[in-house]
Amino acid sequence: MTNDVQTKAADAPMTAEQVSEKFNGGKKVIDFVGKKKVFFGLSLAIMLIGLICNFIFGTTLDIQFTGGATLTYSYTVDKDHPIDQEELRSFIQEHTKDKITASFSTDLMGNTGENVSVQFSGNDSIKTDIQENLTKDLQKKYPDNNFKNLEANSVDASMGFMFLLKCLAAVALASVLMVLYVTIRFKKIGGLSAGVMALVALFHDIAMIYFLYVIFQMPIDSNFIAVVLMILGYSLNDTIVIYDRVREQRKLMGRKTDVGTVFNVSCTKTLKRTIMTSVTTLSAIMVVYILAFIFNINSVKSFALPMMIGVISGCYSSICIAGPLWVMWQNKKAARKAAKKA
Amino acid sequence: MKRVPKPVFFIVALLILAFSFTAIFGISYYNGDNKNTVIKGVGDIRWGIDIRGGVEATFKPADGYDATDRQLQDAKAIIELRMVSQGITDYELYADTNSDRIIVRFPWKSDEKDFDAMAAINEISSTAELTFRPGAEYTTTELGSDGNPVYKTPKGDTETVLMKGNMVSKATSGYINDNDGSRKFVVDLELTNKGAETFKDITTKYLKQQVSIWMDDIMLSAPNVSAVISNGKAQISGNFTSKSAADLAQKINAGALPFKLETSHYGNISPTLGENALTAMAYAAVIAFIVIALIMIIFYRLPGFVAIIALMGQMALSVAAVSGYFTAIPSFTMTLPGIAGLILSIGMGVDCNVITAERIKEEMSGGRTLDGALEKGTKNSLTAIIDGNMTVVIVSIILMLVFGPSNILSFIFGESTTGTIYSFGYTLLVGVISNFIMGIFFSRLMLRSVAGFKPLRKKWLFGGAKND
Repeated sequence: MTNDVQTKAADAPMTAEQVSEKFNGGKKVIDFVGKKKVFFGLSLAIMLIGLICNFIFGTTLDIQFTGGATLTYSYTVDKDHPIDQEELRSFIQEHTKDKITASFSTDLMGNTGENVSVQFSGNDSIKTDIQENLTKDLQKKYPDNNFKNLEANSVDASMGFMFLLKCLAAVALASVLMVLYVTIRFKKIGGLSAGVMALVALFHDIAMIYFLYVIFQMPIDSNFIAVVLMILGYSLNDTIVIYDRVREQRKLMGRKTDVGTVFNVSCTKTLKRTIMTSVTTLSAIMVVYILAFIFNINSVKSFALPMMIGVISGCYSSICIAGPLWVMWQNKKAARKAAKKA
Repeated sequence: MKRVPKPVFFIVALLILAFSFTAIFGISYYNGDNKNTVIKGVGDIRWGIDIRGGVEATFKPADGYDATDRQLQDAKAIIELRMVSQGITDYELYADTNSDRIIVRFPWKSDEKDFDAMAAINEISSTAELTFRPGAEYTTTELGSDGNPVYKTPKGDTETVLMKGNMVSKATSGYINDNDGSRKFVVDLELTNKGAETFKDITTKYLKQQVSIWMDDIMLSAPNVSAVISNGKAQISGNFTSKSAADLAQKINAGALPFKLETSHYGNISPTLGENALTAMAYAAVIAFIVIALIMIIFYRLPGFVAIIALMGQMALSVAAVSGYFTAIPSFTMTLPGIAGLILSIGMGVDCNVITAERIKEEMSGGRTLDGALEKGTKNSLTAIIDGNMTVVIVSIILMLVFGPSNILSFIFGESTTGTIYSFGYTLLVGVISNFIMGIFFSRLMLRSVAGFKPLRKKWLFGGAKND
């Protein structure tokens, strides 16, 4: 373990105190590289849990991708006109051959009252007359509950699949472009290694968001793709600010200084910024999430929650995954060079 | 360090405040009952159908009929006619010839009462009926959303149907050279054998009179019969431009399409749901701004305060880019993810102020003077800010390209409506660009100017230790 950090045996390795005295104004330099086993272990453990959940629960794709239909109705209830949710569910079930799943929610602000979402199994779009009749039947059966159609969505299976492919192509394209950008901009600190390791961190973040969807049983929809792309940009932003500092510190500390030490110093110096930006971003999203929760706006809720996880994961992966991996790569390269010379 | 004059801070801050005010509230005056908008504010933003409520549908030829590109365009022309004649302005309409689909998305009309999506979808996709009728009498005139009058509902003599669209085999637009050498645009009709006979009877009976052509309930054209036509080839001339001739030909063709349209995908959102969401997002934006303002002032003091002014300017700039404040940037349809993107950029927008402020703090603890730290700190943080923001720029452009109406992946996946995510990409991009302008340029100007005030020249105010 320590070998990785201090490969350049030729120079006597500096002690932690010396490093902090010399490069960080006497403040403690945090040894990120040295704790890499803990970090990698933690990430792998979370991924393992996610994978297990994936095997148990499976992944659900939204009807945007698989085809299918959902209908959402709003209704009101009061003392004299209560509605039994189970009864409502079976009432709707009687009106279609497809098996339905109904979910109920409430708008805490009372603007749209009680909501029921009905998802039809089967991967085809429902015929428009089913919706029309269902609305009428519901209004007839519960005349005092103000049944209104809030939202409807119905997708043809073939269209959904095309959309899924398009989304995946977008993610692939974004990843390639960003690695390219990092590779070109950070030539001085081993461009390709920096780019590839940043990419590993990005996949780490995507995996985290994906497992969140799996664990919370949220269907993967176009919001997922938007969040993934957004987090790609965000997480790479963090990584780049650190790389930028590494580039600068390397000049200051000289080529002879061990790569791990350079990274630790750079990362310590940018740590506050990384955390602060994550805090401000996170608080903005959290405000959005809380209000979407109060007002019961599903499309925004399913956007904000994975975004929060992504921001946390993006911040973590930049410091604890991309950095130490890059140091390992650089050390390997140095070792190989040394071996060639010998 | 080059000092920036003291008044600069106040001038920049006031400019930003004035700009924010106009960008949010807009400027308009009332001339009697007419509102004249000079500068567009938040109230003039065009909301997407997830906020206003509306309908989205995709149609394809029924029973797997393989339509030609031409036929698909004709079918699209009909839907367009129906949108325009109903006074719906903000519709989006695409014909994807690769997969034979027509995609339409339109908001509810402002005077819509029953929000019956099914009825609306059935209406626009119903088979078009083309008829030839005597005379040109109509019951109502309405203004279509393209600004031209729409003549509706035949009456009197015109109620009789002389000939139907299935007797027309083809309509094409073209031009003839007039006697005086000028170019005149015309529409050529080719009739079926049966149609030729019927048409001969019509032209004999109504020679030198008007015969009008109707699509469903809407009058398309009312030419005069100038000669008896017996060979089944008629020509309509009149005040056509090249486009209006092509339009008419398309509509006539659509009246003879050999397929019905089938709905393969649809969605609708009620305005109540959208309004509710908009309220929630408005609260979220205000609260998020306040929370971040507090965080910035508590942690970064004076640079934090400057950051808040810049952030306000950034928000105003983003709003302005959406509402059409600058006449050069057309207004943009705003959706829920778009608003989320805007709020997100509040959180991310302070990033460059955070990077700079942290750097200044660091330089001061490294023993530099206030001026030295300001100079060094702003200079050293620039590359990090630019490199970091570039990735967000790349992402937002890809979001726009992929979820936009016609995009770089169109050649593989076909056209689609602009998904709601399109505006997320847009606001994110606009946020980053405004951030460059406000967060880097104006923030730094203000910071340097403020540093000129004696009572404010304390390291503590810039994040240094208390006793400095």
